[in-house]
Amino acid sequence: MIIKHWKLLLLLIAALPAPGIAQDERELPPVTRTYAITHTTVVQAPGRKIEGATVILKDGIITQVGKDIPVPADAKVIKGDSLFVYAGFIDGLSHTGVIKPKEENNRERPKDPGNPGYEKAGITPQQDVRNLLNPADKSIEEWRALGFTVAQVVPHGVFLPGNASIIQLGGGAPDQSVLVSNSALYSELVPTSNVYPSTLIGVLSKWRELYKQATLSHNYEQVYASNRSGLERPVTDRVLQAFYPVIDKKQPVLFRADQPLDIYRVFNLQSELQFPVIAGDLKDGSLALQRIKASGIKIFLSLDLPEAPKDEGKKDDKNTPDAEKQQLEKRKKEALDRRVGQAAAFVNAGISFGFSGLSAKPKDVMANLRRMIAAGLSTDQALAALTTVPAQLLGLSDRMGTVEPGKMANLVVTAKPLFDEKSKVRYVWVDGTMFQYQATEVKKKDDGTKADIQGVWSFSIDTPQGKTENKVTFKKDGDSYTGNVVGGMITEPVDLTDIDLDGNALKFNFKITIDGNTVNVSIDGKVDGTSFNGTTSAGSFGSFATTASKDPKF
Amino acid sequence: MRNRLYILLTLAFGIAAVQTTAQSNRGSVVIRNGTVLTVTKGTQDKTDVLIVDGKITQIGKGLSAPAGARVIDASGLFVMPGIIDPHSHIALEDINEATAPVTAEVFTGDAIDPMQVMIYRALAGGVTTIHAMHGSANAIGGQCETLKLRYGTTDPEALRMEGAPRTIKFALGENPTRVHGGGYGIVPRTRMGVEFVIRKAFSDARDYMAKWDKYNQDKLAKGFRGAPPLYNRRLETLADILRGQIIIHCHSYRADEINMMLKVCKDFGIKRIVFQHANEAFKIAPELAAQGAMASVFSDWWAYKFEVYYASAYNAAILVRNGVVTSVNSDDAELMRHLYHEAGKTQKYGGLTDDEAMALMTINPARQLGIDSRVGSIEVGKEGDVVIFKSHPLSIYALPLYTIVDGVVRFDKDKDPDDMRLFVDPTQSTETTVDHRYDAGVDRCMEGTDFLFGDLSTEEN
Amino acid sequence: MKKSFQLLTGLTVALVCVWTITLAQSPKARTGTFAFTHATIVTVTQGTISNGTVVVAGGKIVAAGTNVSIPAGAEVIDCTGLSIYPGMIDAGTRIGLTEVGSDPRTVDFNEIGDVVPQMRALSAVNPNATAIPVNRIAGITSALAAPDGGLFPGTAALVNLHGYTSDQMYAGFEGVVLNFPASGKRGFWDRRTDEEVKKAAEKSLKQLNDVWTKALEYHKLDSATHGKAGYYPELQALLPVVRGQVALLVECNAEADIKAALKWIADKHIAKVVLTGVAEGWRVAGEIAKAKIPVITGPVLAIPSREYDRYDKAYANAGLMQKAGVVVALRTRDSNTNYRNLPYHAGFAATYGMGRDEALRAITIVPAQIFGVADRLGSVEAGKEANIFITDGDPFETKTQVRYVLISGWMIPLVSRQTLMYDEFLKREPGLQK
Repeated sequence: MIIKHWKLLLLLIAALPAPGIAQDERELPPVTRTYAITHTTVVQAPGRKIEGATVILKDGIITQVGKDIPVPADAKVIKGDSLFVYAGFIDGLSHTGVIKPKEENNRERPKDPGNPGYEKAGITPQQDVRNLLNPADKSIEEWRALGFTVAQVVPHGVFLPGNASIIQLGGGAPDQSVLVSNSALYSELVPTSNVYPSTLIGVLSKWRELYKQATLSHNYEQVYASNRSGLERPVTDRVLQAFYPVIDKKQPVLFRADQPLDIYRVFNLQSELQFPVIAGDLKDGSLALQRIKASGIKIFLSLDLPEAPKDEGKKDDKNTPDAEKQQLEKRKKEALDRRVGQAAAFVNAGISFGFSGLSAKPKDVMANLRRMIAAGLSTDQALAALTTVPAQLLGLSDRMGTVEPGKMANLVVTAKPLFDEKSKVRYVWVDGTMFQYQATEVKKKDDGTKADIQGVWSFSIDTPQGKTENKVTFKKDGDSYTGNVVGGMITEPVDLTDIDLDGNALKFNFKITIDGNTVNVSIDGKVDGTSFNGTTSAGSFGSFATTASKDPKF
Repeated sequence: MRNRLYILLTLAFGIAAVQTTAQSNRGSVVIRNGTVLTVTKGTQDKTDVLIVDGKITQIGKGLSAPAGARVIDASGLFVMPGIIDPHSHIALEDINEATAPVTAEVFTGDAIDPMQVMIYRALAGGVTTIHAMHGSANAIGGQCETLKLRYGTTDPEALRMEGAPRTIKFALGENPTRVHGGGYGIVPRTRMGVEFVIRKAFSDARDYMAKWDKYNQDKLAKGFRGAPPLYNRRLETLADILRGQIIIHCHSYRADEINMMLKVCKDFGIKRIVFQHANEAFKIAPELAAQGAMASVFSDWWAYKFEVYYASAYNAAILVRNGVVTSVNSDDAELMRHLYHEAGKTQKYGGLTDDEAMALMTINPARQLGIDSRVGSIEVGKEGDVVIFKSHPLSIYALPLYTIVDGVVRFDKDKDPDDMRLFVDPTQSTETTVDHRYDAGVDRCMEGTDFLFGDLSTEEN
Repeated sequence: MKKSFQLLTGLTVALVCVWTITLAQSPKARTGTFAFTHATIVTVTQGTISNGTVVVAGGKIVAAGTNVSIPAGAEVIDCTGLSIYPGMIDAGTRIGLTEVGSDPRTVDFNEIGDVVPQMRALSAVNPNATAIPVNRIAGITSALAAPDGGLFPGTAALVNLHGYTSDQMYAGFEGVVLNFPASGKRGFWDRRTDEEVKKAAEKSLKQLNDVWTKALEYHKLDSATHGKAGYYPELQALLPVVRGQVALLVECNAEADIKAALKWIADKHIAKVVLTGVAEGWRVAGEIAKAKIPVITGPVLAIPSREYDRYDKAYANAGLMQKAGVVVALRTRDSNTNYRNLPYHAGFAATYGMGRDEALRAITIVPAQIFGVADRLGSVEAGKEANIFITDGDPFETKTQVRYVLISGWMIPLVSRQTLMYDEFLKREPGLQK
């Protein structure tokens, strides 16, 4: 659309974040830190269920679990009649709450790429993830909403990005959140880019070299410390020093092993250098079951799964059943089944494992767990992999993993049993802090109650300069919609693109041209009957609250 | 429920299948009544070859086979030792650490990819052993791994030819000068620079060795508390070359650079060197023969770059006639599928005899890799790597029917299914066509350096 | 080379031999009247004749058979134990268009621009390219020199591998190359996603249709104005294709692209057309046969185009198509200027299902027919141009030596830079000591 009015341009430019009074949404502290979940179903540990029980939490600790327990006077009471209480979930390897550095898309030819220095080469094992935590990061909230209360988090990056910490997902200040610092030395067997080491073979060589150098300098520092007289001063190298706890077998190395062959590279390093190892984010671990078992490596399987195939290919090939295509689809399905059946295969092979959310999208996690269960994992095993097993693998069994007196008050409370398709998280406690979740706010996808948006809508976009009014028309076209927008400053109707209605979530885009510059406008929000609530994004001009109502005349 | 049971069953069987393949890396086969081209002991008509638990145990007539051994009737067929490709880049996840002129410390054996379908395709061309090499971007590249093509497992370890001598890639001429001089503006930009880089590396290694030898000597003294020298894997590896523990395989083309490298070897006391490609080795054949240096060559490639413009398809024949241990190699996933044909071309270009031509792809590459006591000919005691052909392998009508590695049939022309992939990516589209016409002439040796020279798709060679 | 001499016995032969050696040192070809006697003549079109004679005069085959009178003054060459074949035609090369692959200054097959059909290979073929003698002494007597690059990269030309100007080399065929929009990846290094590849192909198809619409408009205008439509080199080059006078060589390889190309050809009613490449032709062989469009396929020595394809599909492709009724010629399209391997590509096709006779036809008479020059080339028959080669065995076998090559009646000396270096270096002097 061509804007003929220069004022809108001004308006859009002025719509930058307004300086001045920012509304600090600080919540008031809870009245009490004592909670009683009464008459509820408690799954204390996989396979150990008490019905009609009460759970008492006090000052961040589970104090009592059982039947006929009196409710303390200072307790906030949660009626748990239709609820299920589980231990909070533990994620063995993730980036939850970790600040992601801005990606430098540097294709520039490096000078002397053989000697890049530690940092450019991705060698920062001395980096402490505690310095990179952002309690306000929305990933913390997203994972917590699923029931995850604790995660072993690592810095972003490849090769040797730094030290991991085990944190609580309560959103508190970094030091408050950290349960175990320097829980592991994190490594990905992936090169940085155009500098040494730029290949897997370079990475593996450099790994061994650093380790050997660290071993030698560690030894010498000890010799020096015992009697400094007459000895050359050892040079402090923080990179090498970061390996010392590993060399002393006080700290494991945590490897990402999401590619099928990664685990084999880990086997080699482990057997050569003899340090404790955790491997996380495995996706094709079933290809190496026996060797994983023999290695004794601690394992966290990926919560990510490839999308389930949609049944669409059948229509186009109805004339002749193509044997080759069928065979290929069959093999592809087998590969998918292998991925989905990974967890079950590990159980069958007698290898215990936790889960890693590193490459999974929170919105898929519960569905993925249900797919793993359908592929042979029992619900108890699934629960164990979320609670007791990771607690044990990370050395936290004394503190968490079960709903027992003395454990930390890390709980997830659901309506319906946890892996039930209709199960919903209603409460999560992290370290005694309660997070409450409302019953269904977003209507389920494709449950037949897809909103009907056909018709004319009056949109009102709230900019700092006042509201702008537009008319938006949607027309149904088969399964999808077409439409246009007009009004306000838009004199000629402009076609909408990418109209996406998913359940009641509506999203669409259009373009406006201001003095020859094209601005992409995107409106995103939820439809509720004849009203709409959402936001409008206009590229670098910012985002604005938006409401709309459907015109009953049409 | 039934469905779930079914899935559990498939999983169990799937696992079982993988394990069996991983464990059955040695097998027993009796090949009956074939024309056996032993390579080292002449041709024996209507002869049986018996392989038990991966080793050739008997060659003769009417041999009795142990129970459970697979029997292959080779009447009218030709039986030859498994083909050895002394220059390959398949079965590797990474090839070229092209960031420094010397990267002796890296090792292709760290990046074995046992799932590439090219491994099976090579088996279908009779190849049983490959030298999986580092690329040629650096004057001193990485160490290489010798692999047996035991296709059928996802475990990289299963492919390693245990006990094969260590080897390392060197590279002279245009590739290192183009990458480092041309690409990064550092030495070497010329063949003079390449020589300097190699000589300096060996000199540094000599100093390094001396320092460590001294430290290790001092350490023996009671109460020694000194600081160790800085550990350096690059210099460690170079020192191992000087100690004679690693065979150099040197990518090279021009006679002058080969001669330069011969002199470097002489000066540093290095005995074992094989020149790879060595398109102009024929011009310096007497010198190679005198120093016991070997050559592994293309049958007929030329003119894809300037340094191979003055090459000749008669290279192999001239080298053989001058007493140089010579092999043919592929450096190419397609070419390696018909090394028997490439060896055959030396009969057109220079009239080599059948035995001479057969040696180029069997015992000679085995010598170059230091594995000739184990493979490279059909002899009792050697490993059971055998190919069975319809028609003589040097004939254009030769057709590999079976390829056997350590007594296990890894290629069976009539029984294998079309789709031999070991790993299927469930997220990949089923119909991905790759037009390999555009690959032809792309130097795999130089893989990973393309960003230095712009988009390869605009430049074919 | 030298080895072959040992095989010859008898005083007369030995004398001829000595004489050949002397002449072999001269790089000059010579012509005249030649009678090749006591030969096995593999005519390709008329069966095989034992103990026959071929007479060459005035650049032509004047007789081929058993009952042939030798003209007076003819140079008689006893071919006992030898076989005469029609010269091999490589139906897709870059001969003379590239000297050193990695040096852009010596590479002349890829002009800038997506639509440059007016670029003519014939003008750029270097008659003195080092590769020409290297390849022709293997019995390759003609080759299609083809441009490559964008959508319409230029006009290819069939040339004889002897001559000092383009006129002397021209073998009677030119065709416009079309790289049909490809939906396949272009090699292992092509890191585009399936979606990106598809989009690029769609964009390219749109461009192709735009070009074709313009070509049709130009054709109408040109007809209406009696050739005064104005200077428009791109469309002028396409005009004879639109009018069915010049062949369109449509390069397509992936199954989907071959299908799309067949549909496009049918939609646009293109009269003279050849499919080239056709790597996945075996998947759609029936459809190609039904469309009655001939195919030039190759290289035969190639990797299958899909990971899950049977290992030998590239070797078997030509035979599978031919058996389905497609007219198939072969090409090497070798990027290392090794067109001399054409008989080996044919040999692999033969071994993997095509059979020897059909494979031999696919590098002789079939390409001659496809290029419309079967009256001049492709077989050993009286009246045809004397493009022949004579061997001591099956030309597909690597043991076989080529003993004579004639191109347009010129006896080609069997020397190239590669044989000269063999002569020089087999026993180098000085050797180790100077």
